[in-house]
Amino acid sequence: MVRRVLATLAFALLAGAPALAQQQPGADVADDLPAGVAEEQISVSSTYGGSYITVFGMNPDRRGRGDIVVVLRGPTEQATVMQKRRVFGLWINGDPVRFSEAPAFFAVLSNRPLREIASPQSIWRYQLDPAASAQLASAVPAGGDPSAYRAALVRLRHAQGLYQWYSRPPQEGVRGGLTAYRGGLFRAVVRLPANAPIAQYHADTYLFRDGRLISRQRIPITISRIGVERTIHDMATNVSWLYGIVTVLLALLAGWGSAVLFRRP
Amino acid sequence: MIYLPIAEMPVAVLLILLVSGAVGFVSGLVGVGGGFIMTPALIFMGVPAPVAVATGASQIAATSFSGIMTQTRRKAVDWRMGLLLSIGGVGGSSLGVALFERLLRIGQLDLLVSLLYLLLLSSVGFLMVRESYRFWRGRPAKSVSILRRPLKTAAHTLPFRLRFPRSGLYISVLPPLGIGFVIGALSAIMGIGGGFILIPAMIYLLRMPTNVVIGTSQFQVLVIASLIVILQSMATHTVDLVLALLLMAGGVVGAQIGARVGAGMKAEYVRGILGALLVAASAKFLFDLVAPPQEAYVLGAGMW
Repeated sequence: MVRRVLATLAFALLAGAPALAQQQPGADVADDLPAGVAEEQISVSSTYGGSYITVFGMNPDRRGRGDIVVVLRGPTEQATVMQKRRVFGLWINGDPVRFSEAPAFFAVLSNRPLREIASPQSIWRYQLDPAASAQLASAVPAGGDPSAYRAALVRLRHAQGLYQWYSRPPQEGVRGGLTAYRGGLFRAVVRLPANAPIAQYHADTYLFRDGRLISRQRIPITISRIGVERTIHDMATNVSWLYGIVTVLLALLAGWGSAVLFRRP
Repeated sequence: MIYLPIAEMPVAVLLILLVSGAVGFVSGLVGVGGGFIMTPALIFMGVPAPVAVATGASQIAATSFSGIMTQTRRKAVDWRMGLLLSIGGVGGSSLGVALFERLLRIGQLDLLVSLLYLLLLSSVGFLMVRESYRFWRGRPAKSVSILRRPLKTAAHTLPFRLRFPRSGLYISVLPPLGIGFVIGALSAIMGIGGGFILIPAMIYLLRMPTNVVIGTSQFQVLVIASLIVILQSMATHTVDLVLALLLMAGGVVGAQIGARVGAGMKAEYVRGILGALLVAASAKFLFDLVAPPQEAYVLGAGMW
């Protein structure tokens, strides 16, 4: 019964959801996977502490064949990874390697290991893996291993909660993961940490069968600041000199206030 | 918990207030800005280093302004000397902000900051502890310290001499300008007020009387910190107003309490305590530079 309600809800929302499909590698694949996102607008106010994003949809195959993979991508930006080296007994940052594009946020969800669902070629082609999404831009220093830098980028971002992967249904006590219900309905929940950049995100849903991509869907998610957060951020970016002066004046006011308040008789 | 609009992270309000209050207390006690504890503490709490450095400057401005109000009533500010130091500081901090931005981009900011902290904290801390120890042993530093021996320094012989009535000095304007410049540059790069370097420099190099040293240094720190806030706002967009307000609230209250406690203590002992603190902090920096890192790779400028 619950599943039925969920399915009805899913379709009701899907009917209203704009089918914004963008050109991606593999234009031969149909962009018709029925999927939706529960939170298309996320607002960041002064009490923001991260949020959850729920992607749901239906496997269109009547017999339920194939596997669903959900990827939540943040904006791509440049990144640099450096290796620590010992120079005169001190550990310093050396050998920088630049990535021309690396997603600022990346989460991939499936209900069994990705390698069992998609071929390695598909993983790289459709960038289903954070490592596959990072584009090396500079040569790796002599003796360095490009894949080590790539792995380091993924590891460091994973430690910050910015790169996530779930290959199992959600476990007891942990919110996050992809659940496939009977009848083809699926639901994926991603924890968006508070340190994830405030920008435009995309939720991509893929249907794989026998290692090949059958169908997919791309849905934009907007994260934006509201209220005081927005006012302060806009002021700091647009009229930075005034913002600086206001901060200094507030500092002087605070200093003066405390000196008066604590004045000895 | 409150979300910081520029740092883009949530922080625990109470923790920030507590830390800034404690730093303010130390700063009020010994008459330093306290940035050299505040900046590393903020970084330790996960605030990005550029935000910590730039935002810390606003708290330093608040604390020093509060201090100046108290010191002015005691007639303990040499305005002429403060102005000269500030003029040097304006040049130094402009250069410092530019260098900060450049180093941040090539990923070597951490190294320079760590090395500078290590050198300055250990040497200044050592000098303070030694002097305090000698005072405690009952041998006034004046007759023992090598630093104290020459009554005339370069400041007394260089050209462009000027009279500083409140300090009772007649010295060249060049050393104050130079000291101001160095402190300004260091403030911008290290996120410190610079009082803990400025005060010994004024005592040992300029031979200023101890009673005007704190007030005058606070004046210079105020001018430089205010300038850095504005410059960093414009150059790197890293001043977080919400974090700044929290730091100020904790810092000024702590500083007032510290100043009251400090008034009843002997200056030499206070300096000895600060010196020990500085040495301890420098040991931490040395350890981080020398100990093999747990993670061999670091994220570079892409972080910001």
